[in-house]
Amino acid sequence: MPELSYREAVRDALASAMRADKDVFLMGEDIAEMGGSMGVTQGLYEEFGVERVRNTPISEMAIVGAGIGAAMQGMRPVVEIMYEDFLTLSLEQIVNQAAKHRFMSGGQLKVPLTIRTQGGAGWSPGAQHAQQLEAWLVHIPGLKVVFASSPADARGLLWSSIYDDNPVIFFEHRLLYPIKEEVPEQLEPIPLGKARVVREGTDVTVIATGPLVHRSLAAADKAAEEGISVEVVDPRTLQPLDEQGLVDSVKKTNRAVVAHEAVTRMGFGAEVTAVLQEQAFDWLDAPIERVGAKFAPLAFSPSMEQFVVPQPDDVLAAVRRTVGRGK
Amino acid sequence: MAKVEKRRAPSEDTLREFLREMLLIRRFEEKVEERFRAGELPGFLHVAIGQEAVAVGVCGAMEDGDVFASTHRAHGHTLARGTHPNAVMAELYGKLEGCSHGYGGSMHLYDVERGNIGANAVVGGGLPAVVGAGLAFKLRDEPRVAVAFFGDGATNTGTFHESLNLAQLWQTKTLFVCENNEWAESTPGWQHSPVWNDMSKRAKAYDMPSVKVDGQDVEQVYETTKEALARIRAGEGPIFLDVETFRMHGHYIGDPQVYRSKEDRSEAAEQDPIVRLREKLQVSDEEWQALDDEVHEIVEASVEFAKNGTDPQPEDALKNVYA
Amino acid sequence: MASEVKLPRLGQGMEAGTIVKWLKAEGDRVEKGEPLYELDTDKVTQEVEAEASGVLLKIAVASGEVPVGQTVAVIGAEGETVTLAEQAAPAAAAPEPAPDATPEPAPEPAPASAPAAADGERIKASPLARRMARERGVELASLRGTGPDGRIVAEDVERAEAGAPSRPPAPAAPATLPGEVESVPLSGVRKTIARRLTEAWQVPVFQLTVSADMTRANELVERVRQLDPDVRITVTDLLTKVCAQALRRHPDVNVQFAADALVRFPNANVGIAVAAPHGLVVPVLRNVEQLSLADVARARADAVGRARENKLTLEDLDGGTFTISNLGMFGVEQFVAVLNPPQAAILAVGATEERAVVRDGEVVARPMLTATLTVDHRAVDGGPAADFLRTVKAYLEEPGLAL
Repeated sequence: MPELSYREAVRDALASAMRADKDVFLMGEDIAEMGGSMGVTQGLYEEFGVERVRNTPISEMAIVGAGIGAAMQGMRPVVEIMYEDFLTLSLEQIVNQAAKHRFMSGGQLKVPLTIRTQGGAGWSPGAQHAQQLEAWLVHIPGLKVVFASSPADARGLLWSSIYDDNPVIFFEHRLLYPIKEEVPEQLEPIPLGKARVVREGTDVTVIATGPLVHRSLAAADKAAEEGISVEVVDPRTLQPLDEQGLVDSVKKTNRAVVAHEAVTRMGFGAEVTAVLQEQAFDWLDAPIERVGAKFAPLAFSPSMEQFVVPQPDDVLAAVRRTVGRGK
Repeated sequence: MAKVEKRRAPSEDTLREFLREMLLIRRFEEKVEERFRAGELPGFLHVAIGQEAVAVGVCGAMEDGDVFASTHRAHGHTLARGTHPNAVMAELYGKLEGCSHGYGGSMHLYDVERGNIGANAVVGGGLPAVVGAGLAFKLRDEPRVAVAFFGDGATNTGTFHESLNLAQLWQTKTLFVCENNEWAESTPGWQHSPVWNDMSKRAKAYDMPSVKVDGQDVEQVYETTKEALARIRAGEGPIFLDVETFRMHGHYIGDPQVYRSKEDRSEAAEQDPIVRLREKLQVSDEEWQALDDEVHEIVEASVEFAKNGTDPQPEDALKNVYA
Repeated sequence: MASEVKLPRLGQGMEAGTIVKWLKAEGDRVEKGEPLYELDTDKVTQEVEAEASGVLLKIAVASGEVPVGQTVAVIGAEGETVTLAEQAAPAAAAPEPAPDATPEPAPEPAPASAPAAADGERIKASPLARRMARERGVELASLRGTGPDGRIVAEDVERAEAGAPSRPPAPAAPATLPGEVESVPLSGVRKTIARRLTEAWQVPVFQLTVSADMTRANELVERVRQLDPDVRITVTDLLTKVCAQALRRHPDVNVQFAADALVRFPNANVGIAVAAPHGLVVPVLRNVEQLSLADVARARADAVGRARENKLTLEDLDGGTFTISNLGMFGVEQFVAVLNPPQAAILAVGATEERAVVRDGEVVARPMLTATLTVDHRAVDGGPAADFLRTVKAYLEEPGLAL
């Protein structure tokens, strides 16, 4: 099986879709010759040309809005927002327009737009280049939200996002781009809304997204040495959420930890926790733990960044607390 | 609605048709005000009284396949493009038979079959999508144009500027129709824009060609639009129509317009586009009465239709969220 | 055709009962009239007989409190299929110290309410542990939690269950070391006793004490025994008869205090307090004023015998107007009994013993019995009560007067 990095996997999904379908085209800042600030779209401009790989001015509202307009006319644009933090500039178009056209028209329109963006901490990006805002987007009826943590997942899920007839926000993370993994020879589409058990275990379920999937796996290895068997589950699609998949795992292990890099308070993890306690209350042998960033903007200095961002040891400590062996 | 002739200057028959349509919009809007005051219509409503010529002239010039997005003041555009008064009135009453099936209301009238891709309650909110549609037509090499209606107030929003910039940069097949009625709700033009009395400057900032239009002269509106659309269709890039018009009533139904002088209001009334066209066509009193009666009947019927319409089931609120 | 076995109403005011133990198993052949299960009501534990013959196809309620009328089993022909409508599951057996008789509805995934411990403290246990405890009949209060903050977790329940004795009606034995405090759950009878005596304790009472010379009484008992050797008359029987006659003479004492009336009874139904294996019970001998001494003895023997075997029925316990409690066999000289509500009077009888008394100025030894009457002052005043007691003493000292 070929090995692809996460970055290459995203690129492969884009290229495959664009080859298969003339209606798929890209818009974003610096995505053409430069190949994107994270290098994801490298080579696409050369293959597909200036009409289909379009560099845009710094106009997040217009970029996303133009994507909405083209999508409503039946095309399948993929818009790249350079940093997740800049999603904020286009939120009016995402929330008031893209998410609602189908609904307000009584079903006459669809908006098959995909918005790709990347965010998160790592390498001291500073407070305005490091946020994880998935909690805002999963809260809006009409939007779908995806956050893959591995190359095979990214490739299969991006393809499915492009071909979903609804606006999809596809989150990537800068620390994930270099991760390599063996992927199927042929692109295998992965349906939205299905979680994946990344590691099986019996004592506690850790539900994790993005980089926290990998940090949870590291914590699970350490926990195994202490005789604690950890199951790691990646929801992959945040909206719609595979509630059944998550609940099944927790019913098996009787304990849960929810981990994401985004700020813990009022985060996506809080929703997952609520779902688990509603549907698996009588299976819980311990309170559900949450692991996430502490409640502060991200400081610049590396030691401060390290303190705020959740690390494998934070996941391990939470795991220990659920089995009653930690403070 | 009679098919509009391709010859630029409209024939007298066409003009009579325009008169009828403008009067229909006028009476429809008056009826809407009346029904709103009677407490029958939920939500916010903004009537286009005084601006009928812009709606009829621009929409009359559009061809099948063209699309447009309107604003919160959308009844005129929607009716002018051919959506039946029954469907519009039913939407205002929140019925399933409404053009948005009760999901949108006055500020979210959609009729995709007739190219109406949605009225927008967010000022300037619909512009980027029109640019996107114009981009799609260009990428697919289709002889279609996307038309954006907006007011002078919208020319200050970020979406307006980003949209004009991108449209001109990418030469999308987009027509920008600025209905400058010199009021952004209660704020007069001079108070909200440094270029309020010459909106062409807005277009100029983006190197976009603009044309000034007397919005109360439906013939001029029609002719200018026809020509602009032809140029855009031919790939000459987007055009900005700087349309001067008058809002004869308040911003919303019930607006007491405490902010507006009597002179301003009477000046607006003097610019009634329907009166102007009637005078131009020298319509006799009998003819006028007959026309008015005909239009009244249609409007009354639409209210009946709407009132007898079907209320959506409460659970319908959860449909159409996802495709 | 299968017939449903429903919990019978065995007495006035009975709303529920607790099934203690099944005497037949599923699949057993049952004959009409055969005892089917043991039922604990407010007053008594008794066997309930089958009302149909056939095979016990299904036991719907193995144990626990059940409302009157609810189906507890099905009897039918061999091989018949049984479908029962959904009904409320009983509260858990003995280990659940529910304060009132109404049964709880089927437990939902909501947590079992923390046993309302006397000190009012909430028991910390995980939802899983609560559910397991509920399902397995393990009492949370008896567990020690090993989770954080002393929380009871699933492991603790499992450990406890492994060490607990099988039921029913085993009190939940905590898996603890010898020498530690044991918590024995209350039986239905004990709960009832507690409740009724608490009520009684709130009644304003006074006590009168009298001592009687039992010389003549003892002689009489001896003579009657010789006359009727089969009927073993006892002093208690004489006391019972004497009290009944005294009540006839002093009807003011044969009353009960009700909310707005004084209820007067024409007959003397005398209850005799008996220490039965499950606790105190008071079988009632009816219309004693009409019975001969021998009849009284026979009735008393039968009632006490059945009491000791837990075979009393509600009818045996109902309708008393006066009670005698005798602790003389334990050597108690004198004591004060608690009223048996709603009765207005109870006589506490001590042992007959030789005492030094003064007769005609001389100290002599006589068999003396001391009795104390506890009276509900709301219903009976001191004078009438004293009068009554004087009569009792007189009858005891000269039994012929009671004729």
